Amino acid sequence: MTWSLALLPLCAGLLLWAWQAVAGRRSVATTRLVLAGGAASTLVALGALAGWATVLHARAEAAFGAGLVLSAELTAEAGVVTVLVPVIALPIVVYAVWHEEAAALPRLVGLLLVFTGAMELLVVAADLLTLLIGWELVGALSWALIGYEWEEIENPQQAAHAFNATRFGDLGLFVAAGAAFASVGSLSYAELTVLDGTALDVFAGGILLAAAAKSAQVVFAPWLFSAMAGPTPVSALLHAATMVAAGPYLLVRLFDVLDGAPWFGPATLAIGLMTALAAGAVGALQHHAKRLLAASTSAQYGLMFVAVGAGYPLVALIHLVAHAALKALLFLSAGVGQAATGSYELARMRLGSRLPVTALLTLVGSLALAAIPPLGAAWSKERVVAAATHEAVWLGVVTLGAGALSAVYATRFQLLAFGPTRSEQPSPRPLVRGPYAVETGALAYLAALCVGLGALWWPASRRALEDWTGSVVPAGATWEVVASLALAAAAIYAVWAAGRRQRLLQPTLLGPGRAVAEWFGLPTAVRRVVVDPSLALAHALARFDDRVVDAGVGGVAVLAGRAAGALARSDDRVVDAGVRGVAALTGWAARVLAGLGELGVDGSVRLLVATVAGAGRDTRRLQTGMLHQYYIIVAVGVSLAFVVAAVWR
Amino acid sequence: MLTAAIFIPLAGALALVATRDWTARAARAFAVAVAAVPLVLLIVAWLRFDPGAGELFQLVEEVEWIPTLGVAYRVGVDGIALSLASLTALLFVAAVAFPAEHQGRPRQYYAWFLFLEMASLGLFLALDLLVFYVFFDLSLVGMYFLIGLWGHGDSRRAALKFFVYTLAGSLSILLAILGLVLATDPMTFDMAALIEQQPLAGTGARAGFALLGFLLGFGIKTPVVPFHTWLPAAHVEAPAPASTILAGVLLKMGTFGIIRIPLAMLRESFAEYAFFIGVVGVVSILYGALVALGQDNLKRRIAYTSVNHMGYTILGIAAAGGLLTGSEQARQLALTGATVEMVAHGLITGALFLITGSFWQRARDYEMDHYGGLARQVPMLTGASVLASFASLGLPGLAGFVAEFQIFVGTFAVFPWLAAIGLLGILITAALFLQLLQRVFFGELPSRWSDLSDLAGSEAATLGVLLALVVLIGVFPRWLLDVIASGSRLLLGS
Repeated sequence: MTWSLALLPLCAGLLLWAWQAVAGRRSVATTRLVLAGGAASTLVALGALAGWATVLHARAEAAFGAGLVLSAELTAEAGVVTVLVPVIALPIVVYAVWHEEAAALPRLVGLLLVFTGAMELLVVAADLLTLLIGWELVGALSWALIGYEWEEIENPQQAAHAFNATRFGDLGLFVAAGAAFASVGSLSYAELTVLDGTALDVFAGGILLAAAAKSAQVVFAPWLFSAMAGPTPVSALLHAATMVAAGPYLLVRLFDVLDGAPWFGPATLAIGLMTALAAGAVGALQHHAKRLLAASTSAQYGLMFVAVGAGYPLVALIHLVAHAALKALLFLSAGVGQAATGSYELARMRLGSRLPVTALLTLVGSLALAAIPPLGAAWSKERVVAAATHEAVWLGVVTLGAGALSAVYATRFQLLAFGPTRSEQPSPRPLVRGPYAVETGALAYLAALCVGLGALWWPASRRALEDWTGSVVPAGATWEVVASLALAAAAIYAVWAAGRRQRLLQPTLLGPGRAVAEWFGLPTAVRRVVVDPSLALAHALARFDDRVVDAGVGGVAVLAGRAAGALARSDDRVVDAGVRGVAALTGWAARVLAGLGELGVDGSVRLLVATVAGAGRDTRRLQTGMLHQYYIIVAVGVSLAFVVAAVWR
Repeated sequence: MLTAAIFIPLAGALALVATRDWTARAARAFAVAVAAVPLVLLIVAWLRFDPGAGELFQLVEEVEWIPTLGVAYRVGVDGIALSLASLTALLFVAAVAFPAEHQGRPRQYYAWFLFLEMASLGLFLALDLLVFYVFFDLSLVGMYFLIGLWGHGDSRRAALKFFVYTLAGSLSILLAILGLVLATDPMTFDMAALIEQQPLAGTGARAGFALLGFLLGFGIKTPVVPFHTWLPAAHVEAPAPASTILAGVLLKMGTFGIIRIPLAMLRESFAEYAFFIGVVGVVSILYGALVALGQDNLKRRIAYTSVNHMGYTILGIAAAGGLLTGSEQARQLALTGATVEMVAHGLITGALFLITGSFWQRARDYEMDHYGGLARQVPMLTGASVLASFASLGLPGLAGFVAEFQIFVGTFAVFPWLAAIGLLGILITAALFLQLLQRVFFGELPSRWSDLSDLAGSEAATLGVLLALVVLIGVFPRWLLDVIASGSRLLLGS
């Protein structure tokens, strides 16, 4: 049953993809119904199965071969995320069926389901091999999804960038697996608790690298911008409950092992806090709807890193869940805005008066992102601040600042995309199209989820979570809540006021503001420092290989040719001369011997007998002792025969 | 039975040569049928093979030949040889079945393929050094004629380069074999006995020279950097099915030879120099991948990825032999991984070269930038290329990952730094294959390819079988891993 959590969506996805073969002969409506029905029933079944498996605390093992074992286990953390994935994927996939054009829809829906399956595999994994399989599959499928519209060459290029960036992080998992196997002789999570010393440092470093890359932390953040080349539902799924979520999930799942490395907490906290602040600034200045949300994704996952680093993995997990609901909602709203205006430019939206329902549903997500109670995301963010404060008060204050930035970009998104039409605004262009009922339904479903998570404010739910996971949530101080709310309110007011004076879009037009909005020039830096030099090196080496290495071989051949020529000449001179000399010598000897021969026949006969006997002895020695050499001669001769055969043909 | 597997192709080749009046169609059908016989026999061998047995070599067949020298015709298998021989038999069926340009001489073309199959199978199944060596040289002859007579462009030059280069390597192997065998008393060429005796243990420099001789010869054949430059030349000019055999079967002879002879028979000196062998492996990994990334010619790019992949294999073998005792589990993993890499690379790169053959037959052009946007025009070719590319870059669920994961995890226990640096190879390979796909299949379709045809039935079937195996090994590797691991276990001791 445990494996079917991954296999069910995987197989269903491949089946739905296969619908492409018959889609041309069916009406578009039929295709949409088949895909939506197939995907929705798969995801509902998957959700139910995940819940049941979690309750049963299901485990499974399968032999991979060569002594390696694949294993899966539904721990409490794994259970939460395995249920979360289909719950979030369901509205996204159904939305996609109507939102996207019908031509290649079976491929999109199929890949989305396969992607979900890969994510489930990563989540239920209980050993590093299973984890790595799911982890890399998620990465490769994200490539296929981001490059979904491959006719425009930019899309596959961006997809390749995203894949390469995350694969760099995957190397960390390989290193971690190697360190674990070298030290413990096993890849199973359960055995890893005995890791210590250098092995643990290497292991934790590898895992942290992989998690940071997948979750777009610090230098890896720009890959999420590249990922925006994919269709909106892909972005929604990638950011909300899959792929990007894998980073903090892994840290939570392996926290007991990782925490043994003394530097792990501070390093994770630092990575998270830096990202939350930097990405907050990016989000506050971006003018592209999806990129603004992408920056906020990095920032929110940064907050989860902060919680893990401060020693409260449960807080990170809860924030992951709350963030999944709100981010899926906001991405789908951005898709509606794009469909209505034909662009992701926030400057062209302001759809509030014309799409009031969408605006209202989006508002739920924006408020959750701004961490306004009683929404669930507000509670989890408070707990992140509390966790940081437990580590050090100044860390709590900085985290508060990062939280305030999220209020800034959330308000900015809401106002620019779905704010009320301004009275002085020139008559707006007609909408390309309004949202379909299915799209609005998907938004409503996710908004309801955001509201429902408000139950987290209820103290009993917190205790239940603590009991179930065996982990703790830090108690928060009142001043934190007050300060946090005051900061959020101030941030919202400031943005709103700026919006009234039409200043929200200006900073992005200025040089420094634009640089910040484009990740402080990080993508350009990565291109100039990593990508371009690598390609230049590759081309240089290719030329080197042709001109120098190969020429070296050619040179040897030429030298051999010259040597052969020289030998041939020496053959003429030396050997030939030698032969002539021998001939002359022999003639001289013969003449001498002819003279001596007359000394006596008797003596000659005795000499002959002695010579023959000696030769016989020598020949016997030759037979035993010289056979190896004889063999060499034969073998070399055979080889030469091949050469001759080859050259002569 | 193994003997039959070796010599039935030879009989087929002789039949093709001796009789005339073959139509191209009949010759191909006959060749496919003959090539399929060893495959069937090896599948039977696979069923009869017992991975749990305590003997290293099974299904042994022996006929006396030159008893005074300890030479005998001996064949048999361990898990490693069995998997490689089966791969060989499969790839020959695929190469013969794939539509080819026999340039009006189908009889000779298929005869040389069958001759080469005999040589290749003989090499993997041989349990006697002299028999091994003879087959090693015969394989050069077969490949020489296939490239030289049926290649395109400057194929004779490329073939000669291949031949002279690898023949130099084979002479170095011959000297090393003599150095090894002359230390035995009574003299024997029996591999099992040589593995048992470790004849050069404790001889210092002499063992070192023998090791060097083997490594040089097998290193050229593999090939490792800097002895690899014959490879792209040979590949680019060779007909696609011959490229498939060259990459899928002949390169394996180098790495298989290293496992079979120096790793097994010169354990002590191998361990002494294993780190340097590992360095050569890492250099091949990185250099091969980077140079591949720098190529604009489709076939040359794939050819250089072979250097990269064989580098993984060398690294795994180096780690396996890096210690005499200790870390047995990890070293066995590395050796099993190295062998799976050979099988996986044979299937994957074999498929990739067949794909280049499909390009050549349709367009006579290997320049990647002359293509673009083919995905809609030729969906099956695109699908096969995407699958093979992802397999080659080591995506889980496909065969390459199974190999590379074991190599890196196993190597980490012995040479952690080499493993960590070598890992960069899988990043560069990812970049180079994604870029390849992007340049050839995505973006806009140039108008001159608007009548390009998709894979024909026989092409699709051949590629389908190879790629299906790639997926099968990726998803359910156990049947393969357990057989190979039995060989690694007995070879490295536990």
